[in-house]
Amino acid sequence: MTQHAGVQAPPGSGADGVRDIVSVRLPADGAYLSVLRSVTAALAARLDFTLDDIGDLRIAVDEACAMLLAHAVPGSDLECEFELTTELIRISVSAPTLDGSLPARDTFAWTVLAALAGDVDSRVDADQRVVVDLHKHRADASGAA
Amino acid sequence: MDLSLSTRTEGDRTVVVVGGEIDVYTAPKLREQLIDLVSSGMYDLVVDMEGVDFLDSTGLGVLVGGLKRVRAHEGSLRLVCTQERILKIFRITGLTKVFPIYASVEDAVAATD
Repeated sequence: MTQHAGVQAPPGSGADGVRDIVSVRLPADGAYLSVLRSVTAALAARLDFTLDDIGDLRIAVDEACAMLLAHAVPGSDLECEFELTTELIRISVSAPTLDGSLPARDTFAWTVLAALAGDVDSRVDADQRVVVDLHKHRADASGAA
Repeated sequence: MDLSLSTRTEGDRTVVVVGGEIDVYTAPKLREQLIDLVSSGMYDLVVDMEGVDFLDSTGLGVLVGGLKRVRAHEGSLRLVCTQERILKIFRITGLTKVFPIYASVEDAVAATD
């Protein structure tokens, strides 16, 4: 099993000086999705997201990963990178796939993901690695409050 | 967190009590349960989701599959759910118009729709 998580403060931090990257790599197996949901919730809570937004992110990450798992190369790893700033959380999940095809958008899964994730997009990188990116602002981050 | 399932009979309906998390890993267990019930001739189901902590689109797909199966036998599948975060998923996907959703098992069993 390959499972490790690391936290690092990369150079070039934002103006407010807070920008952490958390990387999680898990076997591309549905049994580990609950672990990733828990990590997502814990990180969003750390940024003071509301309970509603934390719940939304848990589901969004789950949906994004479930899409990838359906086409992931057997025995491969699912990689999830969380970029945390004071205002938003940016999450990128990826896995090497068998066919390099983008997730279908006419599905319940994409409908739920798009509704809950804030902004979401997908792309195919080298070696048929499919990536789903999503980011969500903290509820009070863009307003005067 | 795993998925827990139990069934009981109330009146002429079979109540499936679901607890825990329904995701891509656990949903097959629920699918098998619904298929087993329909295969056993139970076509009028109530799925009690009050104990569900997490539901994603895989779970929705299983419920839609169950609905299709019971309807093929002129049966019905009613849901019991009052949790806002679960109901939200049904609303986003438009499935509140597909599933009759009740606030309690008693209401679901007593309904005449």
